Amino acid sequence: MPDQNPGNGVSLSMTPYTGPWTKVEAGHLLRRTMFGPTNQQMLDAVTNGMAATVTALLQIPAIAVPVAFHPDETIAAFGSSWVDSVYPTDPVAAQTVETARLMSLGGWAMDRINSEQLTIAEKMCLFWQNHFAANASLDSRATYDYHMLIRTHALGNFRQFVKDMTINPNMLLFLNGATNTLYSPNENYARELLELFTIGKGPQIGPGDYTNYKEEDVAAAAKIMTGFLVDGLRSDTVTDVTAVFTPILHDTSTKTLSSHFGGATVPDNGANEYADFIDIIFQQDEVANFICRKLYRYFVNYDLTANVESTVIAEMANTLIASNYEVLPVLQELLSSEHFYDISVRGALIKGPLDMLYSMLNGTESAPAFDLATDYEMQLNMYWLADTMGQAYASPPSVAGWPAYYQEPSFSKLWVNATHIKTRFDVSSWMSIYGGIPVNGNNWELDALTFLDNLSDPSVAATVIDDICDVFTPKDVDAVQKLILKAILTNSLPDFEWTLQYNDYLANLGNTAFSDPVKLRVQLVLARLFQMPEFHTI
Amino acid sequence: MKRRNFVKSLALASAGTPILLNEMKIQSIGKKLFDVAGFAEDRVLVIIRLNGGNDGINSVIPIDQYANMTIQRSNVMIPQASALGLTTEVGLHPKMGGMRNMYNDGKLGIIQNVGYPEQNRSHFRSMDIWSSGLIDNPPSTGWLGRQMDVDFPNYPDAYPNTQYPDPFAISMGYETSSTCQGLMANFSHAVNNPFDIYNLASSGVLDDGTYYGSHMDYLATLIDQANAFGAQINDAANAGSTLSTMYDAGNPLAVQLQYVAQMISGGLQSKVYVLNINGFDTHDSQVSAVDSTEGTHAELMKRLSDAIEAFQDDLMLLNLEHKVMGMTFSEFGRQIASNASLGTDHGDAAPLFLFGSCLDIDIMGSNPVIGNTVVNQAGIPMQYDFRDIYASILKDWFGVSSGEVQTLFEHSVTFYPLVTPCGVGINEEDLAKEGALIYPNPATSNATVRFTAGNEWVKIDIFDINSKHIAEVYDGTLSQGRHDIPMKLKGLPAGQYIVQIKKDSGIINEKLSKMK
Repeated sequence: MPDQNPGNGVSLSMTPYTGPWTKVEAGHLLRRTMFGPTNQQMLDAVTNGMAATVTALLQIPAIAVPVAFHPDETIAAFGSSWVDSVYPTDPVAAQTVETARLMSLGGWAMDRINSEQLTIAEKMCLFWQNHFAANASLDSRATYDYHMLIRTHALGNFRQFVKDMTINPNMLLFLNGATNTLYSPNENYARELLELFTIGKGPQIGPGDYTNYKEEDVAAAAKIMTGFLVDGLRSDTVTDVTAVFTPILHDTSTKTLSSHFGGATVPDNGANEYADFIDIIFQQDEVANFICRKLYRYFVNYDLTANVESTVIAEMANTLIASNYEVLPVLQELLSSEHFYDISVRGALIKGPLDMLYSMLNGTESAPAFDLATDYEMQLNMYWLADTMGQAYASPPSVAGWPAYYQEPSFSKLWVNATHIKTRFDVSSWMSIYGGIPVNGNNWELDALTFLDNLSDPSVAATVIDDICDVFTPKDVDAVQKLILKAILTNSLPDFEWTLQYNDYLANLGNTAFSDPVKLRVQLVLARLFQMPEFHTI
Repeated sequence: MKRRNFVKSLALASAGTPILLNEMKIQSIGKKLFDVAGFAEDRVLVIIRLNGGNDGINSVIPIDQYANMTIQRSNVMIPQASALGLTTEVGLHPKMGGMRNMYNDGKLGIIQNVGYPEQNRSHFRSMDIWSSGLIDNPPSTGWLGRQMDVDFPNYPDAYPNTQYPDPFAISMGYETSSTCQGLMANFSHAVNNPFDIYNLASSGVLDDGTYYGSHMDYLATLIDQANAFGAQINDAANAGSTLSTMYDAGNPLAVQLQYVAQMISGGLQSKVYVLNINGFDTHDSQVSAVDSTEGTHAELMKRLSDAIEAFQDDLMLLNLEHKVMGMTFSEFGRQIASNASLGTDHGDAAPLFLFGSCLDIDIMGSNPVIGNTVVNQAGIPMQYDFRDIYASILKDWFGVSSGEVQTLFEHSVTFYPLVTPCGVGINEEDLAKEGALIYPNPATSNATVRFTAGNEWVKIDIFDINSKHIAEVYDGTLSQGRHDIPMKLKGLPAGQYIVQIKKDSGIINEKLSKMK
């Protein structure tokens, strides 16, 4: 833990930030809310100002559905959506199709992250993916629906989100809601709903008493939510997986909650009873504190000091409650606040694997543009690489999410160890200088030339290095390091030689004899930068 | 799925999942390859890959086949008068003067017609076969990596450690060699320039008490750890030396072999070095239209031969010859008949070179028989299975028992006596006569070199690590017995030096560290 005391000279103010608005501050905002901005996006953010940029970020754009690309997908036609398709009747064949659909989902999820759109959408989806940390079910249509539910509510009403998630088929399957019946109550979901999804577990202050709820609440909650089944799994006739309320499996008794909920009673209300219960949970303001802490740790800093708790978190929670649990106003306030731009929190997190991979790719405007199947395969390779480094999207290690987001005291340090850092180096070297990811005879490598061309002034070596550092590092890079990078760019020649080389390339566009040497120099600079600790912080 | 291929090609140190376990049927638990006592302990194998498929007939020329070679490949054929004769029947490409010299010194071995059954003529597939030593099973591990997996089952997690501070193998260049691919990771460390590993100058930012600073510090520590091999390699290169003047800086293979000599002499404990030379896929313009002794292939042969000769010369000067042996390989030879583009197409078996001072063969096997009619696409039939060559090297050079070697391969292994028990059986007293002691070492202003002489002429010189002559210490005749010769070091910059004792009976090189 850093020995810094954020109380000293650190602004904890949630009033709108009014200080300098340069690439440094704009870059901080974009790095925290996206998977790697481009130089141009940073420049645009500077031009548009903080308020307009925050507003623009807080929108969730529409996206395309995942499509069939793998030969094992035998139901949906190649290139068309499978999300409303049936499965083959034969169970073995159905499993084969499911594997193809999972790969489609994986590639699709990565493709969304590999986007240059100015939006907080993907960072929010990952946040909720970590919060409602369910793994994929055995039917990819349900897994897809779960993701779309997250996306729909990403900036929306948290209370409604929890309600919808409670009867989401993927979640019903993952936490045994689908087998929670009058005859055999299953507490799995009930427990996580309280402990991880809404009010959170406080210190144990008595037998079965976790400050915010008691064991008896878990038992009551399980009964409240009895009666939901999941229909259509792997069906060869039904095109959708749905939650079905079955009255005879529902516990119709009146349930009584503990003193932490004012001893409230929940009478039978059939299929809507779970919503009544969630409304009761949300009457406790601790729900707002709980989710705001998580948002803070994800977007600002892992270190929740007493000062931060009493100022920043309290203010965020006030805003959330005042807005009837709408998430957007909270983020609007947070991302515009003096505290968010305080120098003490810049670079305060270590990049997770997905952030590391896609900041590298998005920052260089690199996306695969081959054929459909190849592009999916390439994104899948990224998926697996992130998995190798400890972050498989949609597959968190437990229902609590990834430890780097919650495990004290290390938090984001957990993303890296000596092996992972080596893997990060290998992957970044591969993508920058050793030819990229090979799939079907094509290679996906960083687009060093386009990246260079879009910098502020590509013909000036020092500016190129400044821009590159702005794009990929959270704080000023040491002057000596910049000189080393510049020497790599110019091949240790005088700066004007780089200018001549670049201008020669511009005058001979399309001629690889001129473009290749320029490209190589940039690739070498990038490879080096990706091995500097600065790149791995955010 | 593509995962395995990609992860493998990345040679990730931490390829997460043991995907290949079920494919590995020929694992075994045995004596450690590099843990054997005694003679094999510090032995090194240098492998040079001739990438693209080398034309064996124009490399090792079957002089007794000229009549039919004229029928088969007159446009690429080396004129008989130009071939460098080794015997009356076997010659070398005219650019291979260096390797001819080595042959005459007994330091070059040629194994004729090396291949494998049912030769595959795809570059990729055949290279996989040669690298893995597996034909029927997927080439998911390398032939050396497989043995290393047996020896070091927790690699890479538990390494480096105090017992094994150095990488087990070095791949010169940017890619790790698939010969060293293990189940979980590649056992080789890619080194393009041992003086410049990752070259991560530490960042200016230290832990200044901020969150950022604490993370920078944390990451820098991890990077240091990840770079532990890099630092070892760096240290060895800086501590090592190279003495031959025969390396040509314009010959990339020579430059890389010089680096290898530097690392070995610097004490790096890596057992295998893999090098690569590209360009052997000579479908056209293999030879110059006006002179078949010139052209692409001639240049490659010259580079190969010159580089190996320089390397062997260096090893001799460094007194390391008994520790190092080398081998070339290529994914296939080329067809007997040439094509109309002054080139040759993918073929079958081809000769393989061994080099070093401990060889037990000169030329093994017979010349390929060239027929008097052109048979479409005919290659040279295999006489020796390359896997048996690998197996014999493992057994005789690294001291792995024949039973253990057998477990690494799919076929029933045949062992050939390729290597002499070189350096084995020399008693300690004899060894002492070949050494020298410098004391104190490190030294400041004065040091003494102690050695034995046998009533012979002796010259002692100091060189720096770039082989630059720094000072002459002694030049004259010394009586039989032990001698202590003082050396004045005042004025020498601090650093590593080589004290060379040249006697009629041989050369001794000892390292000297000069301190301020």
